[in-house]
Amino acid sequence: MDTKIFLLAGVFLPLFPFSIIFNALFERLSHPILRGIMLLFWPLIGIYLLQMAQRPPPDWIIAWASATAILYGFRLISMRDVGLWIGFLGTSAWALLWVGFNANIDHSRLYLSALGFSTPLIMLLILAAHIKVRFGAAYTYLYGGLAITTPRLSGVLVFTVLAATAAPIFPAFFIMLYNITLSAPAVIIAMLTGWLLWAWAGARLLQGLIVGPQAGGQIKDISRKLAWLYILLLNAMVLSGLYLPGKWL
Amino acid sequence: MNIKASSITLGTRLKIRSMIQMAAEPIPFFWPMRTFIHHNPLHGLEDMPFAEAAAKGAELFHGRTFLSRKIYQKYLTEGEINPSAIAAVIRSFTTSCQQINGIDLNKWLMSLLKETEQPFTLTNTLTNADDIHAILNGQSIRPANNIDPVKLESTLCRVLLEQRPIYEAVDMLFGTDIGNELDELLIRTCLDFFDEGQSAWEMPGREQGFFAAWSGVAKRNPRFFLQGFHINKILDAADTPEEIIAFAMQKFGIPEEKWMHYFTLELSRLHGWVGFIRWRSSAKHYYWSDQYPADLIDFMAIRLTLALALLNSRKLKRFAHTEHDLREAIHGNTIEIYLRHELYSKAVLPEMAFRIERAIQRGNKEIIEAIFDEYIATRRDHEARYQATYLQRLAELADNRDELMRLSVEDIAGLQAIIADFEKQEGMLWLRAMESGVIGQLLNGLVPKHSESESESRRPFAQAMFCIDIRSERIRRHLESMGDYQTFGIAGFFGVPVGFMPHGKGSETHLCPVIITPKNLVLEVSAAEYQDITAITTLEKAMHELKESVLAPFVTVEAIGLLFGFDMVGKTLMPHTYNRWRRHLYEARPLTRLLLDKLSRHQADSILRAVQRAIIEKAVEREFGIEPEKITDDITRDIREAALGRQHGSNLFANALGLDDKAINNFISRLQKDYRINKDFSHMQIEQLGRIGFTLDEQVTYVGTALRMIGLLENFSRFVLVVGHGSTSENNPYESALDCGACGGNHGLISGRVLAQMANKQQVRRALRRQHDIDIPDDTWFIPAFHNTTTDELHMHDLELIPPSHLIYIDRLRNGLTAASRLSAHERIPELIPDENRPGPAKAFNLAQRNSMDWSQVRPEWGLSKNTCFVIGRRSLTKEFALDGRAFLHSYDYRTDPRRRLLENILTGPLVVGQWINMEHYFSVVDNERFGSGSKVNHNIAGRFGVMTGNISDLRTGLPSQTVLKDGLPYHRPIRLITVIEAPIGHARQAIEGVVAVKKLVHNGWLRMIVIDPDTGNASIFATGDWRDIKLPINESSLSEELLAS
Repeated sequence: MDTKIFLLAGVFLPLFPFSIIFNALFERLSHPILRGIMLLFWPLIGIYLLQMAQRPPPDWIIAWASATAILYGFRLISMRDVGLWIGFLGTSAWALLWVGFNANIDHSRLYLSALGFSTPLIMLLILAAHIKVRFGAAYTYLYGGLAITTPRLSGVLVFTVLAATAAPIFPAFFIMLYNITLSAPAVIIAMLTGWLLWAWAGARLLQGLIVGPQAGGQIKDISRKLAWLYILLLNAMVLSGLYLPGKWL
Repeated sequence: MNIKASSITLGTRLKIRSMIQMAAEPIPFFWPMRTFIHHNPLHGLEDMPFAEAAAKGAELFHGRTFLSRKIYQKYLTEGEINPSAIAAVIRSFTTSCQQINGIDLNKWLMSLLKETEQPFTLTNTLTNADDIHAILNGQSIRPANNIDPVKLESTLCRVLLEQRPIYEAVDMLFGTDIGNELDELLIRTCLDFFDEGQSAWEMPGREQGFFAAWSGVAKRNPRFFLQGFHINKILDAADTPEEIIAFAMQKFGIPEEKWMHYFTLELSRLHGWVGFIRWRSSAKHYYWSDQYPADLIDFMAIRLTLALALLNSRKLKRFAHTEHDLREAIHGNTIEIYLRHELYSKAVLPEMAFRIERAIQRGNKEIIEAIFDEYIATRRDHEARYQATYLQRLAELADNRDELMRLSVEDIAGLQAIIADFEKQEGMLWLRAMESGVIGQLLNGLVPKHSESESESRRPFAQAMFCIDIRSERIRRHLESMGDYQTFGIAGFFGVPVGFMPHGKGSETHLCPVIITPKNLVLEVSAAEYQDITAITTLEKAMHELKESVLAPFVTVEAIGLLFGFDMVGKTLMPHTYNRWRRHLYEARPLTRLLLDKLSRHQADSILRAVQRAIIEKAVEREFGIEPEKITDDITRDIREAALGRQHGSNLFANALGLDDKAINNFISRLQKDYRINKDFSHMQIEQLGRIGFTLDEQVTYVGTALRMIGLLENFSRFVLVVGHGSTSENNPYESALDCGACGGNHGLISGRVLAQMANKQQVRRALRRQHDIDIPDDTWFIPAFHNTTTDELHMHDLELIPPSHLIYIDRLRNGLTAASRLSAHERIPELIPDENRPGPAKAFNLAQRNSMDWSQVRPEWGLSKNTCFVIGRRSLTKEFALDGRAFLHSYDYRTDPRRRLLENILTGPLVVGQWINMEHYFSVVDNERFGSGSKVNHNIAGRFGVMTGNISDLRTGLPSQTVLKDGLPYHRPIRLITVIEAPIGHARQAIEGVVAVKKLVHNGWLRMIVIDPDTGNASIFATGDWRDIKLPINESSLSEELLAS
């Protein structure tokens, strides 16, 4: 029974090849709201399912999850479509939630960890929608120079990508640290590798959008109010990251 | 095919060499930064008319050659461009256009210029008039059945195979980054080879030449091996650079008739480095070039070797990488290649980018064909809607909406063609409109005086000769406003080309425009007592050497890093006070004199003898450990005679030391070989000594010419200041760009000292009186002075030579100069340091001084920004007109130059240099990233001769953004140099026609030429290929009409 639960959970806390289901669905549902809902609830369903298991997942699943995280981290580097980039990063990050189950930690912490990974991704999704409205698609290395044409959007985008790729002092950073404290050395190496790949992919994403010569045409930046709202959200993320995972550590 | 040495004939080698030299012609020289030379980035295209060269330059260097429409619109709104001038240029354009039913083209084009930011014309568009017509009439466009595969294939062949090197085509089709990787590898090689002492470790084998040194290192480079570059295979295939080039070109499959064009494409990718190598290989007596030779053949051979190695490397080998393969791929998979090109050249519609990328990756032909059809339809629809909306907007603005709806497909096609043609010429139209406004203001501001009306009978208190530099205009105006001062403008080397060897230095600096090579050498010799090196100088030398070593910095940072911290805090927080305090730590510069007079044969021999005796004494001390006092003059003479081959052996020396013949002969041969005391070297030294100084005739000629050129032939005042200029700033690689261009990017003080010293000589004055009819009174004294353009200070030099009778007036003179400096700073500083409270003269003067000492200051002064015009004439022409530091002012009185020789000299030298400066500023403004050098903030020194952006980039050749832009917008107004000559029209025109280089510039529109006739008070301007007469004063609107009508 537990094995079936684990396999089913492997769809929602994605394990390759079950992860294809999430990514195929995510690609098909191109509307940002639907995608946002998926990002929010998909890992929560996985955690809910795992709660039904009688025992912690075996080590080979953790190895499988780590491999999935690295695989999608690696795929992330060459992904130019920002929407699918978000899906891949989610896949890579959620796979690491298995580590918490393996260590038998409190389930509420797992839910919060999932939210810690998903929230910046949802925000990134919204920013990608802003870019899509302006350029027709959120796609890297096609039109650069957002830092010049839309400085407010670029500023928010930079910090959101940092939050999504678990840069200090955002929640995902502390979640990763916490997971590291729970893991065996081999898993730690795998996690750090995945983490490094996220940072690399994040830098490439920003490089493909923010820097470079200015894109032609008149591009409207986001309003000051909206920029402040995003800054507020980022600050809320920072504070919650400092408070909650800080307490666990 | 393996090419070996035997397969390349001498003829082919020479052909390759000449092809590369010719291919590099459009790329201008780049001089080392130590003597920054302003140059026209499109100098190599000056044989073409300006408009054509601008288009060619834009294509070749991938840069913009006019400002964006948005900035011109800003000028229009702010009144810098006269609306009537714009209307005139549009009218001049539409008169030759075919009329379209009911369409008011003038209104449409005016709306296009004034109200739209984006161009109407699309490159490589798929849409046509049919589609636009359909959209305008509310219909959907017809399906894409009109994509002609043959046309598509030929377009792809043209874009991919004729306009770029092979690897760029590969990058555009496969998303690789070979071009950038190749540039990076080559730049690293250039940095290694051309280093002028910046690196702690040198590249080995540099003396063998660029290609030989590089190939020696490349064959053993493990990085190349690990990356799978088969450098050795390529290098083994041929021996000389020319053979490598031929080998690579054959491997790429480029037909020989296209080689030269291909070389130009290759060279223009790194035009900064290429310009430097071009200059370096042609520079005579350049130490680094003599030691480590390199030319563009080497550069091309290395570049092509690397390109071939990259394309054949493990990871890229699977891609097509010869012209033949690419042509086959285009022919066989036109659709896929088209989609690839769209995707990787970033031309693709963003909304379809992901699907196209995926389809290409999957490689399924059916999917690719399906997405191709969809893409073509979508793109056509996009483009048609864009152009239809654009036309609707223009129609609304021109109140021609109904007329637009009535247009047929043919009419729309005609309209499309007219707008496309207009947009092609748009930059020139804006430029001409902008220039006509400036010309109007200038002509109305100048006050031509009848030739006989200018006679100054009153003797001025002082006269001053300033450089023609635009920064002299302000200070001249303020000095004149102080009272009885009269000023003149002359090229800052005062017409005396000097090779100068400063006190304590062993190398020669050329103080003259770079187009001249000085024949005479001036030495600076100390007139002070012997000075010991101060402790602080010794300490600085030790620190410098520590920094240069490989390992020492690791230790020194820990040990004495804190000391630098104090220095940093002082420099950052209190630059003015700290730097003034620091100056006290150094010894004052010793009093020096210039060795200016030609040496006689006897003097030269005597100097050489003294030097050789000193060397012999040192050699004896070193070789035999004998103290100098034991060597008598006779012994030294004996040894010298032997070393020079005038006698065999040295008996006196042998006897004094008890040496045998063998030891003596060994010593003599060491003297000849190592200490270079021999007949040939002595002969060369005598020749070198012959360069020192000027003969009396030369001095008379130079002084006479300088005075005649500026029209100062009588009414000399008591003081004549000869003011050279330069700048002072901290932490600024571009410092020499702010110095005197006429002195080859150096300070102009020495040139001032040279002329003053010559003019103060009684023999020179007597000869001037006799031969040139120039009577300089005995009480006239020429004083050299220095104008610091960063601080506005005017500082007199060689005051110890002033006759005592004049000293009583010096305070008055000094006060006048100080007041002029302060007033000039007061006028200038608000433009440099915007502040709501405009500082008073004293505060402005202090702020300027702080600027010159602040190491964090990226803009110590505006330099030559805003240069607009070049006025050749008497001061009366411009005296009443404040030109705000925008004009080069060259004094010239045509009455003293009946044979036009002086005017021709001014046109040949100063005007050409002014035009280089103007064009350098022009192109640095219109495209600062490509023709300028970007922001100073990211600059790093490269090899001590240039700057790069970041750690690897092309050498940045133009001006930094901080010099020409303010808040991201142009500070300098990019227009062509407006040259005004005050002289009878026939006189000036004959001079212009007589100087081929200037004639070419005028006729090709690289500068705007105006002649003002002082006798008639009218002007004549060269416009649209001919001279046009203009009555002064003029109405600016009518001027636009007159100038722009074709």
